[in-house]
Amino acid sequence: MLGIWIGKLILWVLRLGGRDATSLPGKVALRISPGLIRHFGRQVKQVIAVTGTNGKTTTTSLLASMVAEREPVVTNHKGANLAQGIATAFLRSSSWTGRLRTITAVLEIDEATLPAVASDLPIGVLVVTNVFRDQLDRYGELDGTLAKLLDGIRKTQATLVLNGDDPLCRYLGLRSARNAVYYGMSRETARSPRREQMRDGQFCLMCGRPLRYDGFWYGQLGLYACEGCDFVRPHPAFQGALEGGFLRFAEEGLPALLLDLPVSGLYNAYNVLAAASAARAIGLPAEAIHAGLRAYQPPEGRMQRFYLEAPVTLHLIKNPTGCDSVLDTVVSDGRHKVLVIGINDLAADGRDVSWLWDADFELLAEDPRLTSVVTTGLRAHDMALRLKYAGLLEAKIRVEPDLGAALHEGLSQSSSTGAVMHALVTYTLLHPAARWLSERRDEHASQGPLYRTSVS
Amino acid sequence: MRRKALCIAHLYPELLNLYADRGNIAVLQRRLEWRGFEVEVVRVTHSETPQFSRYHLVLLGGGSDREQAIVAEKLRACAPEFRSAVQNGLPVLAICGGYQLLGEYYQLPSGEKVPGLGLVDMVTEARPDAPRLIGNIAVWSEEVGVIVGFENHGGRTRHGHRPLGRVLHGHGNDGVSGQEGLRHLNIWGTYVHGPLLPKNPALADAVLRDALGYAHLPEQLEPLNDRLEQEARTAFVSLRMEDVAPMLRTEAELR
Repeated sequence: MLGIWIGKLILWVLRLGGRDATSLPGKVALRISPGLIRHFGRQVKQVIAVTGTNGKTTTTSLLASMVAEREPVVTNHKGANLAQGIATAFLRSSSWTGRLRTITAVLEIDEATLPAVASDLPIGVLVVTNVFRDQLDRYGELDGTLAKLLDGIRKTQATLVLNGDDPLCRYLGLRSARNAVYYGMSRETARSPRREQMRDGQFCLMCGRPLRYDGFWYGQLGLYACEGCDFVRPHPAFQGALEGGFLRFAEEGLPALLLDLPVSGLYNAYNVLAAASAARAIGLPAEAIHAGLRAYQPPEGRMQRFYLEAPVTLHLIKNPTGCDSVLDTVVSDGRHKVLVIGINDLAADGRDVSWLWDADFELLAEDPRLTSVVTTGLRAHDMALRLKYAGLLEAKIRVEPDLGAALHEGLSQSSSTGAVMHALVTYTLLHPAARWLSERRDEHASQGPLYRTSVS
Repeated sequence: MRRKALCIAHLYPELLNLYADRGNIAVLQRRLEWRGFEVEVVRVTHSETPQFSRYHLVLLGGGSDREQAIVAEKLRACAPEFRSAVQNGLPVLAICGGYQLLGEYYQLPSGEKVPGLGLVDMVTEARPDAPRLIGNIAVWSEEVGVIVGFENHGGRTRHGHRPLGRVLHGHGNDGVSGQEGLRHLNIWGTYVHGPLLPKNPALADAVLRDALGYAHLPEQLEPLNDRLEQEARTAFVSLRMEDVAPMLRTEAELR
């Protein structure tokens, strides 16, 4: 296939230039050889796919790391989850003649891309992490997302590994006519709702009556039961419970495992639970799960830390539920803090920024340790307006559309006041922000220990 | 001096919350509070019956087709009370799905007709072969000037009333007539969200003046410092709808 050769060539050229391409080679190769994914799909024995709204990238990386303890795997990195990203992942592992050296692939697949690639890949296990409201202009409304997922699932013979705490995942399990196993947090750890947050799926998708909740974890994840029919949270086959910095992972009939949590936050505990459940579903032993977690490197923007003049944490925000989890993490940081919030509205960010108003930025107005916020990105002004109506004093808000200038401003404010900095950015600002912060770190390090200011 | 509170009802926020209508409520509430008014926001959920005689302003937001059908059924049950309050001048701000509900019916792509409230002479149809109307939008309204935001709707709406305004950029009611939204009695109907009100403070204040008048409260609204709002409008237009920029400048000069 000509496409393979061209794709490999682009990969090779980019690598010579020191660049790590995640999408472009696959994009060009697919244009030349549209059957590329099917070609590779025929060569692998098993594909383990991960889809859903939030946590796809982290779950995929965790799972790939676990499987890699046993055998080499093909996997897509850095959230390149559209067809071109999947093609690039295969190209990276293939020879110049298009032969693969591996027989197992762990792939993150975008919800809207799943129906297009599902019949080309031997998907044996499919993980659905959750279904939240995301980028409405790209996916239509939530019901449309569910229809796409069902369409994709029905093109496979996969065993589904589903988040049983999410009523929308449960619906997929019931409607798909596929074998489904559920994971979920253990019952006792659910809490009663703290504040009025936007939740999706509060109504039974089977009969339309309201869902009654006995407790929540976050978003619509909780202990639900329909008032009108027998739609109810399934008893999870794989159960998780947070214990200190660990996740107790229990499976009926087997001794519980105490798993490392390489990334913090409840939503990341769900990702570890999802990955461990999928690992069990394909028969991985406990050693591979433990070793995979230890070897795991958090991808860019999943609470990535930089030690500069002031400590900086970089977070990705892309939809209300994910953003609420990040805001929770930020306000529970007991130190004085400066925030930089970057909002773009390009296709990958979602062109509609109305989701900013569904996220609970009111939490920030209530945080007495928040010194100031710099808003940045193409929609810096919209973000500033959101904060004003959330109740933040206008004097604490600064608008600086240029990302570099905003990060610089945030950093000098935090280092001069002894505060820490949290940067919250949307998808297309993530790589630029990470790059800016890394370069700054390199400069910072080269200036040696004498220069290091003491902010403790 | 304590005045009576202005009562804003947010109808079925748990069903009609697709486009961040919580933002519209926040804007209405804050802009009154900053001017010293007392405000009460009532969230009317699916298990309650709305008490239209109590409210001074009703907000109906947008939901998915499925949720909209549930709301249509709920509201039809109390349509007579709603209708007589609206005839008496109760202001209604209806956005996207909520706007469609005000008419005779909403026809789904399948051909099924969901009956609406019949408060206005209006029909909406979503044909299976027609694309959704999605994107940034700007509208010129004689009453409040340029209205900016985002639209995302499958339905095409036709009605026999005044439109809210003329489309400057984007699609509007049906993508062809050049009209956007609806004005009738004290009803403000529109497809513009984003959410609607934060970047359109003049519109927010116009709706509030209707509500204050209806509540027999002083309608005079002191000007607020809208620097961030105006900057956000200008930045949004120059970034995404450059063709509307001259209109916005004219408007600023008139202000």
